Amino acid sequence: MNVYHPKLTAGFWLIGMLAICILGGQALTKDWLETGFLALLPTSEQQPEIAKAVRQHNELLNRKMIWLTGAATSAEAINHAQKLKSQLEQSGLFSKVVLEVPQQHYIEQYQKLFPYRYQLLDQQTREMLAKNPEDLIKQNLEILNSPIGQMQAADLERDPALLFSRYFSAQNTIKLNLEQGIVVLSDQHRFWALLLTDLQDERLQLDKLETLSGLVGSATEQVKTDGGELLVSGMPLFTAHGAESAKQEISTVGIGSSLGIVVLLWATFRSVRPLLLSSLAIGSGLLAALVICVLFFGKIHILTLVFGASLIGVADDYAQHFLCDSFGEKDWNPRKGLKFILPGLSLGLLSNLLSYAGLGFSPFPGLQEVALFSAMGLLVAWLTVVLLFPLLLTGFTFDHQPGILKLTTYWEQHWPLWVFKNRLWLGLMLSAFIAGGLWMLTPQDDVRLLQSPPAELLRTADKIRQLFPISPDNQFFLVSGKDQADWHQNEQALLKRLELLKQQKALTAYAGLSNYWPDESQQQQNYQLLKHQLYDSGLLERYMTDLGFDKTAVKAEYEQFSKAEHNTLALPEWLATADETKQQLWLGCDSDRCQSTVTLTGISDMDALTALQDLPGVVWVDQVESISSLFARYRIRATGLLAIAFCLASLGLGYKFGWRNGATIMSVPVAALAVSLAMLGWFDQLFSLFNLFALLLVLGIGVDYGLFFFMAGDRRVSTSLGVTLSAVTTLLAFGLLAISSTEIVHAFGFTVTAGIVTALLCAPLIGLKEYKNNDKQ
Amino acid sequence: MILLKALLLSLLLCGQGIAGEAVLTEIAARLAKTPIAQGDFHQQKHLKVLHKPLISTGTFTYDQNKGVIWKTLTPVASLLLVNESKLLTGQGEQAVPAAFGKVFKAMLGGDISALTDGFEITGTDQKTSWQLELSPKDDMLKKVISTMVLSGDTELRGLEIREAGGNITHITFNNITHPEQLTGEQEADFERLSP
Repeated sequence: MNVYHPKLTAGFWLIGMLAICILGGQALTKDWLETGFLALLPTSEQQPEIAKAVRQHNELLNRKMIWLTGAATSAEAINHAQKLKSQLEQSGLFSKVVLEVPQQHYIEQYQKLFPYRYQLLDQQTREMLAKNPEDLIKQNLEILNSPIGQMQAADLERDPALLFSRYFSAQNTIKLNLEQGIVVLSDQHRFWALLLTDLQDERLQLDKLETLSGLVGSATEQVKTDGGELLVSGMPLFTAHGAESAKQEISTVGIGSSLGIVVLLWATFRSVRPLLLSSLAIGSGLLAALVICVLFFGKIHILTLVFGASLIGVADDYAQHFLCDSFGEKDWNPRKGLKFILPGLSLGLLSNLLSYAGLGFSPFPGLQEVALFSAMGLLVAWLTVVLLFPLLLTGFTFDHQPGILKLTTYWEQHWPLWVFKNRLWLGLMLSAFIAGGLWMLTPQDDVRLLQSPPAELLRTADKIRQLFPISPDNQFFLVSGKDQADWHQNEQALLKRLELLKQQKALTAYAGLSNYWPDESQQQQNYQLLKHQLYDSGLLERYMTDLGFDKTAVKAEYEQFSKAEHNTLALPEWLATADETKQQLWLGCDSDRCQSTVTLTGISDMDALTALQDLPGVVWVDQVESISSLFARYRIRATGLLAIAFCLASLGLGYKFGWRNGATIMSVPVAALAVSLAMLGWFDQLFSLFNLFALLLVLGIGVDYGLFFFMAGDRRVSTSLGVTLSAVTTLLAFGLLAISSTEIVHAFGFTVTAGIVTALLCAPLIGLKEYKNNDKQ
Repeated sequence: MILLKALLLSLLLCGQGIAGEAVLTEIAARLAKTPIAQGDFHQQKHLKVLHKPLISTGTFTYDQNKGVIWKTLTPVASLLLVNESKLLTGQGEQAVPAAFGKVFKAMLGGDISALTDGFEITGTDQKTSWQLELSPKDDMLKKVISTMVLSGDTELRGLEIREAGGNITHITFNNITHPEQLTGEQEADFERLSP
């Protein structure tokens, strides 16, 4: 069957690319770039309610930034902070810039809750009243007589037993020093004024992130020129840094591999046509990949583009094979060339697509994007070569002797002979190298692989945490109950255990809603407790009289108390008075359950806390740990995947070329995989899930090289030229990935580079005998 | 007003350093400057809502480097420890209201010039005794404390705190001595303040 119609196929290609351009015109005008670190994390494995809690927890985190201006005196620190505040407000990046503590909020809260003072008791007061109410009286005397107690007793007239004073200060457990209404912290050397900001958008676009980085830079300079010091931290900063380094890496990898390809192609072909054609194949592949990915996923992560940039080096392979095929053939034409290389190119594409499909099996949105992006890029590059090149290569000749030929000739002829001659000790050394490397290989599964912020950012974050230890840790409890009462009971049980752990210093603080808001039945119990222990027992009357209250004041207080008997404060009303951090604790009720989170700060004994998940309705949520264990599980699964891909390739090759030949071809990827792993061990590189995905690619490329040489027959010279060119460009692309500051990208690059070098060294050993035999005949 | 103070109470804020002028230098020169001072105190609090004063007595210890121990003996025994960064009371650790932490340290240690930062100071200096009136500069602190009056000779003898709400606290210091060393008990108390 004759399927060779260059003009027709070129027409198909043109129509397809036009369609992609039109689709791209629509897709790429929207906001299509994702930069946040959390978008890389898998969510599908979590139960929906945990996922919701995690989302709520993260949403808050994603927008918050904390700024501390430091100086030798608090007045200077405040001065710097005030300047900074107006600078931040002018930037338009923030929806909220808080310097002065919003006093009005506390005043309103006090006014709204005060009528319920006999219903709202804090835990400690409740316990004291139940055990020994005399202790409460004693403590009151201590407060009243303290030289600094005037503020705690400020509302003594309306709150003689200081009940509400206790409740109100228990609500605000972190005590901060204010100067001019601004929170001022101090360490041994400096005073620090605190400024909190919320970003306008949870997901910042790239240009906004750049503005943010720029703002932090200029603010730091400004404060420094004024003689102070600025500390900034917050998730957006980490995101901004990640996006910035990703952008830099995209251009390094992109420009690096493009330059490499241009130089290599020019040196080899000394003609513009191959250069333009290669660029066309790569360009169409990348464009199609980008458009299809954005259409499919809605948004595409910037890390995907880092990987995508490395595709330049791989997508180029098909074009080079076609071009190189013409080498040395006197009566070469595209038709003959295509006929010869099409099976190899197609098998190559197939094995590459198989490897990338493996990536798609991972639960990580980022890797799925990489899989689709790469698969589409390669497919379209292949289509360009197969559909368009026949027309555009008409009349193309390539019969000069390029300089690189010397190298490839040595490589395909002398190198294999040398290897065969020295196979004994080479084999021994290689075995020792592989065994040693594998022995040193230790897997590492850590969520931090996804993000590698610079040490300085981490140091600042640590310093801020020491100065201002209120940001909750990543871990938290999710508490649920079948209704509000059940939930309240479950959370109270948990909070009691947490209080004990806090006293044992397993953590420094925790926050649970039910400690601030007693439910309706607890409110009644509180009232009855007061009635029984303090009011009806006459203890309060005695205390008030002893202190020096008038008789009328005592009587008025008793009247107030009895009038308040039936007061109840419902949760929504309480929440309306609470600040944002406390409101976020409540996840709400649906038809069959109510849920809340309990946040934790300063955890030092993780085991003691995880043990609490046995309590009814309590779930321990640890994103870091669950993602790390996910990494471990998928590392094992990916190993299985690699084994399956390996078997499939072996079976396919064995079926087509016979088992012996299949095994010969497969020896190339086997060696590449083994050396790649051993290199990871020797160089103490990270070995995780992501390396295994890289090994999938090594498998694909190894099979390619083995196959090309196996099928080369008497065209070994042009084949070796093609394989060398493609290997060099691929190496350039992945080698450049290895410089990435993101651990996974680096690991990916390193693994693939090691694998390709090995495959390149092993491939010419294949098919040599047949060639030599043919030669002699 | 009361409301506002209660609100402040809840956050336990307060705060400002302190300062001075010419008269300060003279008074400061007269004060005995030693690393350690200790003595008895007698405190009377006149609260508007109560028809009799709250009276408490006890001892205090000042150490230049370590802070202040304020030990109330009557009517209920309690202990208050404070230095520049930490405040411990019977209710546990609390934020340091700098007005008290620093003022106490500055006054008991005889380093009155350190008060000029946060207070407007007017003083009278007579032959044998002196008196200083401090008004806070900070707006927030003003809402709690209107003035503080310090008086003394070679030692600080009295302190009066007039609150904005009308309450007055009157403290007198007696039997002031300047030992060379802290006692074991005092050392142990200060130890609790170290981080």
